[in-house]
Amino acid sequence: MTTTQTQERPGLRAGNTPGSLEKAKARRDRRTYTALLIPAILGLLVSFVLPLAYMIRMSFNHGEADGVIIEGFTLDSYIQPLSDPFYWKVTLDTFQMGVVVGVVCVALSYPITLFLARTTSKYKSALLAIAIAPLLTSAVVRTYGWMVILGSNGLVNSSLEALGLISAPLKLTNNMLGVQIGLVEISMPYAILAMISGFGRLNPQLEEAAGSLGASKFQIFTKVTLPLTLPGVLTGFLMVFVLSISTFITPTLLGGGSVQVLATEIYDQTTGLLNWPFAAALSVILLVLFGAVVAVYQRLTKKLGG
Amino acid sequence: MNQSKLSIVDLTKRYAPGLDPAVDKLSMEVEEGHLVALLGPSGCGKTTTLRMVAGLMDPTAGSIIVDGRDITQTPVNKRGMGMVFQSYALFPHMDVAQNVAFGLQMRRVPPAEQSRRVAAALDMVKLGHLAKRKVRELSGGQQQRIALARALVVEPTLLLLDEPLSNLDAKLRETMRSEIRSIQQRTRATTLFVTHDQDEALDMADRIAVMNGGLIEQYDSPSVIYERPNTRFVADFIGQANFLTASVVADNGPTASGGATAGGASERNYTVDVDGLGRYGATGHPGFVGSTRELVVRPHRLRVSLEARGGEAGIAGTIVGVSYTGDTVGFSVRVGERTLQAQFMTSSAAVPRPGDSAYLSWNPSDAYLLPGNPEVAAA
Amino acid sequence: MNEAPLFKPKFKIGKPLFGILVFILYVFLLAPLLVVVVTSFSSNQYLSFPPQGFTLKWYEVLPDESIFVNGMQVSLIVAVSVTLITLAIGVPAALALERFEFKGKGAVLSLFLSPLLVPSIVLALGLVLILSPLRLTNTYEGIIIGHVAITFPFVVRTTMMSLATTDTSCEAAARILGAGPWTVFRRITLPIIQPGVIAGGVIAFIVSFDEAVISLFVAQSGLPTLPVQVLRYVENSADAAVAALSVILILISLVVVVIVERVMGLRKAL
Repeated sequence: MTTTQTQERPGLRAGNTPGSLEKAKARRDRRTYTALLIPAILGLLVSFVLPLAYMIRMSFNHGEADGVIIEGFTLDSYIQPLSDPFYWKVTLDTFQMGVVVGVVCVALSYPITLFLARTTSKYKSALLAIAIAPLLTSAVVRTYGWMVILGSNGLVNSSLEALGLISAPLKLTNNMLGVQIGLVEISMPYAILAMISGFGRLNPQLEEAAGSLGASKFQIFTKVTLPLTLPGVLTGFLMVFVLSISTFITPTLLGGGSVQVLATEIYDQTTGLLNWPFAAALSVILLVLFGAVVAVYQRLTKKLGG
Repeated sequence: MNQSKLSIVDLTKRYAPGLDPAVDKLSMEVEEGHLVALLGPSGCGKTTTLRMVAGLMDPTAGSIIVDGRDITQTPVNKRGMGMVFQSYALFPHMDVAQNVAFGLQMRRVPPAEQSRRVAAALDMVKLGHLAKRKVRELSGGQQQRIALARALVVEPTLLLLDEPLSNLDAKLRETMRSEIRSIQQRTRATTLFVTHDQDEALDMADRIAVMNGGLIEQYDSPSVIYERPNTRFVADFIGQANFLTASVVADNGPTASGGATAGGASERNYTVDVDGLGRYGATGHPGFVGSTRELVVRPHRLRVSLEARGGEAGIAGTIVGVSYTGDTVGFSVRVGERTLQAQFMTSSAAVPRPGDSAYLSWNPSDAYLLPGNPEVAAA
Repeated sequence: MNEAPLFKPKFKIGKPLFGILVFILYVFLLAPLLVVVVTSFSSNQYLSFPPQGFTLKWYEVLPDESIFVNGMQVSLIVAVSVTLITLAIGVPAALALERFEFKGKGAVLSLFLSPLLVPSIVLALGLVLILSPLRLTNTYEGIIIGHVAITFPFVVRTTMMSLATTDTSCEAAARILGAGPWTVFRRITLPIIQPGVIAGGVIAFIVSFDEAVISLFVAQSGLPTLPVQVLRYVENSADAAVAALSVILILISLVVVVIVERVMGLRKAL
C-alpha cells in the first residue's frame, strides 16, 4: 500500500472539509469573547458613554435659570458664554492656571524623577512608591492639608510671623495663588509617574561620556540629559495641565469662592442655577480645550520622535 | 496490517489564506511504543504539527487518527494526551504533588488512587522527596522531570514533547536525554518529540521525520537518515556533509552489503565522474546510469593522504586550514574551485600544515548519490 | 593629578546639593498629609500653628460624629459594591482583550481606558443629567454607576498586565490534562493573575472611596460619602475636627498602597 490509502481508511471521518474546523473554532472564539466583553461594554455604555452623549445633546437645548429647559437645537448655550467677557475671562483663567501649574509642577517633579531614575539605592522602589502614593489619597484631604498650611493662622504665616519677617499674615488662601500651590503639589505624583517611564532612556554612561569629553555639568545637563528626557517632560506637562484645568475640589476649597474657573462654573450652573444646557455647554468647551491641548501634544511628540 | 498508534493524513495548516502553508499535506504513521522525533529548523512546521496533534490548534485540512479513531474534531481536553512544554508550564500556584495530580483530578480518579499514582510517578522521575515543594523552588532539570511525571501519570494515549530540553544547560541536557528515553521505553508511551537538535533526535528517536517548509523530507530510522539521506537538505541538516557533482558512468552491480532502498530494490555500486576530477566509486538507487547527481561524503569518511599512493591516486588538493580540537582534527582542503572538509581522530602522528598537498579518496559505500533531489545539470 | 578623578569630582560637588533639593521636594510633596496628621493630634480648637498641645479628643469623638458614621457607611457600601461590579465586568473584559484576537480590539481598549481621560466634572454633570430624570440621583445606584466608569480602567489595566506576563502554556497544559474552559479559568488562570486582580480591586476600592466630585454632583443632599462630608465641612468651617477624620482616610489609602506595592508594584499598577 502506498499513498492512495487516504480515501479508504476505515477510521477516517467524513466532514473534515478544508477550513471547517478553523471556521468552527473562529465562531466559538467569537461567541466567547463577545460574552466576555458584553458586560463591560454595557457597563461603560450606561456609566460613561450615555452620560457624555446626553450631556452633549443637552448643550444644544435652551436653558434658563431655575431648571427651565426648552428642548430644541440651538447654540444659545454656546453663544451666551462666548459673547460674555466674564466667561472669556473664566476660560482664560482656567487655561492660564493649567499652564502655570503644569510648568511649576513639572519643574518641581523633575529633580525627584531624575533622582529616582538614577539612584541605585536599595530603597529605590520604596522611594518611588512614596512619591506616587499620594495619588491614592483623597484630593479633599490633601487640599485640606494645604488650607492648614497656607491659612492666615497656618504653618507658613505663623512661622514667618514667629521669625518676625511679616507683621500681618500673607494672603495665601482664597485666591488663585493658593489654588495653584495646592494644585502643583496634588499633581506632582502624576507628573513623576508620567515622566519616569520616559526617563528610562537616560543612560548614566552617556552623561559620563559627555563629561569625559570635557563637557561642563551645565553642558551635560542641557546637551544630554534634558533632550533625552524632554518627551517625558512633555507628557508630564500634558497630564498636569489636563488634570488641573478640570479639577474642581482644589479651586473650590483653596479658592474659597473667589476663584472662578470652568469647573467651579459648571458646578454653580448645575446645582445652584440649575441651568443644565449652559453647564453642558461649558463642559463641552472644557472638553474642546482638552482636545486642543492633546492634539498639540501629539504633533509635538511626533516631531520629537521623528 | 499492523495498525499504527498514530496516523496523520494529509494534515495541512494555513495561518491565513494566501500564505504558504505552515504544514503542507503531511502524512505519517507512528508505531505503538515508538519515540518519533520531528526534526527541523525553526519555522519548518514541526511545532505546528505537534500542536495540531495535541488539539491546541485546528488543522485547515487533513485528519489525525489515534488507535484507529479520527480525533481531528475531538476537543483538546478530551484527547487524553500528555504534553511537556518547552517552558515546562508547571502551575506556579500549586506544589509538585498538586501539579502531578491535576490530570488525575480532571479524570475524577478517587483520592486514594490519586496519591498512589502521584507517588509512583514522582518515584519514576526520582523526585518523590520533592512532593511538597513549590514549583519555583525547583531547578530547571527538576521542573522538567515534574512536567514529565505530570504528563505520564494520566497514562496518556500519546506523549507529546515540545523541545523539552532546550532550556537546560548542555551537561544536564545529555543526562535528561537518556533519562527521558529510558522512561519512555519503560512506559512504552508512544511519543512525538519536537526538536531542532539533530544530536537529540539521533540519540533518542526510533524514527526521525526531518521537516522543511511544512513538508517531511525524510522519515526513517536515525541510521538511515544519517547514512542514506534522501535530499541535500537532510544531508546538510544532519551532521556535516561535503557535496560534489557526479556523472554516473557505469553500474557495477548490487552492493556487497545488500542495502535496500525504500522501493525495495537493492542499492547499486556505480562508477562516477566527479566534476571532471577523475572516476571514483559511489552507491545509490538503481537506474542512475547516465544521470548527473549530487554526491554526498561525510567529512570523517574522507581519506586524506599526503602523498599519492600507488593504486588509489585520489583527488589532488591543497590543505588550506587545520582546526585542532583535541579529539579530532579537521582539514579544509582546496580542490579546484571548492573546499572540502575532512575530519579525523587525532593520533600522535604529525599534523599536516596549511599549504601541504593532500589527496582525497573514499570507500564507494561512503559516497552516496542523493535520490530525492532532481538531477543537476552537468558542470 | 592622574587621569581617573578628573571627571568624578564634578558630580561630587553637586551631589549633596542635589540631595538636599530632592529632600525638600519630598517634604513639599508629603507636606499636606503630614500637616493633617499633626493637626489631628493638636489641641488647638481652630486651624492654627503651632499646636498648643497633644490630644486624642478628635479621635475620641469620631464614633459619635454623624458625619463620620454616616459618611463611612455610605462610602463603604459604595466602594465595596463598585469594586465587586468593576471586577466582575473588568476581569472578563481583560481576558477577552489578552487571550483573543479580533477586529476592533484597539477601539474597544481605547473605550475601556477613556474614562481616565475625561475630566470627572464633565462626567459628573453628564451623570446628573441622565440620572435625575430616572430618579436615580441621591441613590446608591446613582453613585455606584458613576464610580464604575472611573474605576473600570484600573481593573482592566492591571488584569491585562498580569495576563500578558503569564505563560499561556500553563493554560494549554491544563486543557491537555483534561480541564474544560471554565475549570482552566478557575483553577489555573485566576490564581495566576491574582496579583493583578487584587491590585486592580483595591485601586478600584480606594478610587471610589476617595472620589468626591461625582459623589457630590450625584448625591450631595441625599447620600453624602465621606469625602463629600469632609469637603462640605471644610468649605464652611476650617477647624481641626475634620483632621482626625482625614487621617482615617489617609490610613485607608496607606493600606491600599502597601497592598498594591506588595502584589504588583505601585508604579506598574497605576
